[in-house]
Formats: sequence, structure tokens, C-alpha cells
Amino acid sequence: MREDFYILQDGILKRKENTVYFENKDSRKILPINKINSIFAYGNLSFSSGVVSYLSKEGIPIHFFNYYGFYEGSMYPRETLVSGDLVIRQAENYLNSERRLCLAGKFIEGACGNILKNLRYYARTREDVQEAVGDYATSIETEFSRLKDAETIPSMMRTEGKIRELYYNALDEIFPEEYRIIKRTRRPPENKMNTLISFGNSLVYSTTLSEIYNTQLNPTISYLHEPFERRFSLSLDVSEIFKPILVDRIIFKLINKNMLDDSCFRGEIGNMLLSEKGKKIFLKEYDEKLKTTIKHKGLNRNVSYKSLIRLELYKISKHVLGVEDYKPLVMWW
Amino acid sequence: MYVVIVYDVGVERVNKVRSFLREYMNWVQNSVFEGELTKAEFLKIKSRLKELIQESSDHIIFYSSRDRKYLGIEDLGTPKADTSNII
Repeated sequence: MREDFYILQDGILKRKENTVYFENKDSRKILPINKINSIFAYGNLSFSSGVVSYLSKEGIPIHFFNYYGFYEGSMYPRETLVSGDLVIRQAENYLNSERRLCLAGKFIEGACGNILKNLRYYARTREDVQEAVGDYATSIETEFSRLKDAETIPSMMRTEGKIRELYYNALDEIFPEEYRIIKRTRRPPENKMNTLISFGNSLVYSTTLSEIYNTQLNPTISYLHEPFERRFSLSLDVSEIFKPILVDRIIFKLINKNMLDDSCFRGEIGNMLLSEKGKKIFLKEYDEKLKTTIKHKGLNRNVSYKSLIRLELYKISKHVLGVEDYKPLVMWW
Repeated sequence: MYVVIVYDVGVERVNKVRSFLREYMNWVQNSVFEGELTKAEFLKIKSRLKELIQESSDHIIFYSSRDRKYLGIEDLGTPKADTSNII
């Protein structure tokens, strides 16, 4: 199986002996070209043009993150899996407001289902917060039941915003004071929890984009988010479903097992960022999470969390082509 | 499957073998590579190596296992290379 490589150090990436070398003054590391799925570049990385053309020839995207760990952009190789038919159908689904709302609603349905799964777990296992978390879960359900009356995308997004807010309030009940969210802040995040969420979300966003590259879907036509908004917005849509499954659960693990300490964070002009050490811990967990497998009911075999993202994209293609109605993934485990 | 390749080839060919294997697997120490391969990749590697070496004098051994966890890997001393994917 191909792997993702995360480069936190500064250095240069070059093509040498028909494979990829990462070099800097103290080390040299060889990345086997046939084993790279995508590269996540966090450090100050230089590229030789040889490596750029080689990676695009092999269809390997590179995702760039700046010094603060925020997503900057991707080197998205030339699309090789193109299907005019699917693109036209994707656009058709966007232009027809009824069908667009249907798909957009499905993404929220998936996200909401997974959020509830996370909360139910705590309502079940932690007696001290059982009641409060249970109440939040019920309010989220009520909020979600209003979704079917939504007639426009902005009103759907409002519902989604409310669900998230309730969810974050519930998390504040569960976790120690140090990890309160209070209010979701981005660019820059203002406290530890916000920092972790932002860092994780940008990872999911990039992983999803890498997966979209391996399907015939066009990453710019999206349904819940506006396509012309910015970036490859289809990946923002699909990420919604996976954030609670991947990011939130990793954060829970990191906090519950006390894997983070103050040296994992660095404060800078009133904001919070992950330090080198923090990033490393998070990335390691993230990589392991993506490789974790579960038994898939429909396929009757073990699939990794990463292939779940791919399967989700296949389901979306089927939906837009009118083969099979899309049913978002909600954790069954 | 997880494969360990150990080779002992003539000096003239050692570079060719090494740089070819680097495209697929992790270099562990002199003349040893290991890594996760698909069946197809494994076949491809074997046939390419067959072309590269001189069968009368060189020798390559492939140790393969269904999963890395079935190989009881232990080590001593300082490893020569770091094979992690977080750099």
C-alpha cells in the first residue's frame, strides 16, 4: 500500500536515481517513488523542477502547509482520470437546486450522524457528564430534524453551524478546563482545542483531495460549499463527514491519554500553534488512524479509514450518475 | 506482503541493483532492503533483478511474509537508516 510522507524539516526534494531524495545538511532520506501516495510539506521545502515533473507524472500530489501549519495549497498533478460525462452530471446536480439541496443535506446528515456517535460514546462511558452530554445530543437531533425544511443552502449551512456549536459545547463539558473550546476560532486559533481542530481539519481536507485525485470526480464542483468560494471545495464537502471520525477521535485520544504537554504548543502574538513536537505526535496518530482497518459490512472485507474516504467518493459518483442514491457514511462501529 | 531482500552481487552491478530497489523499498543497511510490496510489484522486481545480475556469480535472497508482524524482527546496535514516513 502506498504511504503518505510528512516532511516537517527544512530541506530540498530532488529526483535522483529515478526516485525521490529528501536532503538537508544533517540528513538524507530516500522516498521510494512507488510507495508515495502523497506528500505533506510542513517545512521550508525546495524542489528541483525534475522532482516536480516526476511526481506529477506519477500522479502524486504535494500539499503545502505554512510555518503556522495552515493549509496553503497543493501541487495537483495533471488529471489523468477524466470523464466528461461525470463532470457534466456533477454540474447538472449542482445547477438543479432540488438535487443540490439533496446532496448538501446528505453531507450534513453524515457529519451529524458521526458527531452523535462520538457524543453517545461519552454519554455511555462517562457517568459524570452523562446527563449534560445526553441533553446536547438530543438538541442536536432536534436541530437536525429541521434540516428537511431548509429550502436554501444558506439556511442549511446555518443548521450545520448550530449543530457544530452544540457539539462543541458538549465537548466543553467532557474535557478538562485546559482544553475548552469556548468559541471556535480559526486563523489563528486562540486556544489549545481550536489549534488541534484546525490542524486536524487541514489534514483531512488534504487527504480527501488526494483521494479525489484517484477518482474521476472534479474537485471544484461542490454542493454544500459554494464551488467558486475558494480551493477545491468538493473536498471541503466530503471532509465534513470525516472530521468527527478522524480528527475529533484523534484529539480525544490525545487528551484522554495525556499525550500532549505544554511543550507541544507554542503561543505567538495571542494565538496558539502546534510546536514541532506537537505536530509530530499529531501526524503520527493521524497516519496510524488512516491505516486502521475495520470490517466493511457491504464489502465483507477489511478496509482502512483512508479507503473509506475513497469509497465515499465512489458513492457520490454513483449518485450523480443516477446509478444509486447516496447514503452518507455513519460509523456503525 | 512484506519482503526483505538481501543481495550479494559483483561491484560493477551493486549500484544498479541498489538504485533500482530504492524505487520500491526502504534501504535498511548495506545490501539489504525491506518493505511492503504487492504481488505484482514483487514479480516485477524479481524479473528486473534477473536482468540486472549475472546469474553465474551473483546471489539474491528474498524473504517474504504475509505481514511484517509475522517476522520476528529484532536488532542490536545503531540502525543505519530511518524508515519512518514522518521526516
